[in-house]
Amino acid sequence: MATGTATVPTSGAPAQQRVATTEPWLVRGMLTVTALGFLGLFLLMPLVGVFAQALAKGWGVYLQSFRDPDALAAIRLTLFTAAVAVPMSTAFGLAAAWAIGKFQFRGKNVLITLIDLPFTVSPVVAGLVFVLIFGRNGWLGPWLQAHGIQIIYAVPGIVLVTLFVTFPFVARELIPLMQAQGTEEEEAARVLGASGWHTFWRVTLPNVKWALLYGVILCNARAMGEFGAVSVVSGHIRGNTNTMPLQVEILYNDYNFVAAFSIASLLAVLALVTLVLKSVFEWKVARQLALAERIEDAEESLS
Amino acid sequence: MSIAVEHISKTFGRFVALDDVSLTVDTGELVALLGPSGSGKTTLLRIIAGLEQPDRGSGPIRFHDEDVAQCNVGDRHVGFVFQHYALFRHMSVFENVAFGLRVRPRKLRPSKAAIKTKVHRLLELVQLDFLANRYPNQLSGGQRQRVALARALAMEPKVLLLDEPFGALDAKVRQELRRWLRRLHEEIHVTSVFVTHDQDEALELADRVLVMNAGRIEQVGTPDEVFHHPRTQFVMNFLGQVNRFHGRLEQGKVHFASLSLDWPNHDSVRTQPAQVFVRPHDCEVDVCRNGHSCFQATVTHVHSAGPNVRLELRAESGESLCAEVSQERYRELGVAVGSQVYIAPREVKVFAGEAG
Repeated sequence: MATGTATVPTSGAPAQQRVATTEPWLVRGMLTVTALGFLGLFLLMPLVGVFAQALAKGWGVYLQSFRDPDALAAIRLTLFTAAVAVPMSTAFGLAAAWAIGKFQFRGKNVLITLIDLPFTVSPVVAGLVFVLIFGRNGWLGPWLQAHGIQIIYAVPGIVLVTLFVTFPFVARELIPLMQAQGTEEEEAARVLGASGWHTFWRVTLPNVKWALLYGVILCNARAMGEFGAVSVVSGHIRGNTNTMPLQVEILYNDYNFVAAFSIASLLAVLALVTLVLKSVFEWKVARQLALAERIEDAEESLS
Repeated sequence: MSIAVEHISKTFGRFVALDDVSLTVDTGELVALLGPSGSGKTTLLRIIAGLEQPDRGSGPIRFHDEDVAQCNVGDRHVGFVFQHYALFRHMSVFENVAFGLRVRPRKLRPSKAAIKTKVHRLLELVQLDFLANRYPNQLSGGQRQRVALARALAMEPKVLLLDEPFGALDAKVRQELRRWLRRLHEEIHVTSVFVTHDQDEALELADRVLVMNAGRIEQVGTPDEVFHHPRTQFVMNFLGQVNRFHGRLEQGKVHFASLSLDWPNHDSVRTQPAQVFVRPHDCEVDVCRNGHSCFQATVTHVHSAGPNVRLELRAESGESLCAEVSQERYRELGVAVGSQVYIAPREVKVFAGEAG
């Protein structure tokens, strides 16, 4: 402040501002307690519960659960399913978001609605639909049987329904961002002589990089955690068509609580890793910008 | 390189953005497309660049006698500066400017060292070399504008197209950048077309101004020509402040606002409606009748902040109008709100017909 008089009227302002923009402490306290209460009851307690049950009989028994061949098969199948479904979902989501976000065409709203369909349909219904199509008495059943291809009650069916329930994740993350970013940067790239391919890889994709990764993580979490749809098409063949969530249910129904919660703890860890990764991605973007700024400030002060 | 476009039309659904527009720009010229929003000026610019396709049946788009209408955007080699700059947000300033060079096919791509030298030279040209490692969101509007320009110039375009280049900047930065762009153009002399809705910008910067309205070209000419010799009511109205009177032409005279002036251009005996335009600085203000043909008016408002004083007036015939006098003249007159004054138009423009 260059002049003394200019600072005088502002001296009383902060106290006044606090009064004007906050609630009484009682309201604040009650809201905070309510929020923390919900958090504890619905998130923290179940999480602690899972690990407490899994480790109820000590580390030895906990680790023993993973030596069971059926459990290992379930883990393998879950990883395999995710490894196939997530890349496909990602490719589809990226293509759909690109088309919707960057181009004008007829039927765009119908396409957006269709992409949301898996979110609105109950997973069990989704599973049944696939049984109806590919099952023994389904539309394509006789033909598939004649050619010796089994989809329902086998791995292909599990991958298919996983694909169905996960495909909105990436697209949903990307569409609003791509729409908000508009097409000016792509146009600039085209004017500068970049091909469509170059423009996509060097301009469109880097601009949605973090949203894409976020979508992939969510998609992966769902692919590994899906129960309903997979349950309908899997047939529950132990050691063959059981994924981790199905294995958890079977073990639980067998009153094998420790084993059930041990597998469940892996899924819980997956959830935690997902959350950490999400935070890391957010933090990375912020850090990248801050770093660039610091370098510049240093250079500027030198010049 | 010269630009010539002929008979370009463009419709978006039912909206006619361009209606049979032709234009030529000579080599090294700086041309302004001036018009209100929705007049089709940006569409015309985008068609020249190849970002938009003209309707079927439109004529050729020639760059130096070569028809590029079928050419892809990237093959036209134009520099395009977008209204909101369209800088690549995940790339540094350096990478932004280098982009056009780096995406060239391997055979035509300069070496890394050559790209580096060139980019730094361009950043020096736009006086931003010290910001090479910054990201676009760390720059001010004026800086982004200049990066966008450096990026467009990196590919050594034969034609530079700018869409509302100063539209998103504040008044002071606008002024500076305007002068700077004029100097830059004199230095590199690339054929340039820019779009603007700001008449000052067009009149100050351009060699020639093309005034557009509702998808058509109203007038093409030097800033002097379009300002002093507007061919249509629209141009008269759009360029600069102007007072409009509904009058009539009758036997070699024009009647408006209780005034009758000789109008020898009109020789028809028939009475005809006429639109009469008088610029505020062409309104001579006096406190008594001084012999010139004048009409009486009442001062309704005085704006005295600025180099000139603007008087808002109501003529005795009911029209409101505006007159501009120097600060000295204002003090001499000693008028205030409510004063009676006499207005003698020094120069009037008359367009026969109804208001257009």
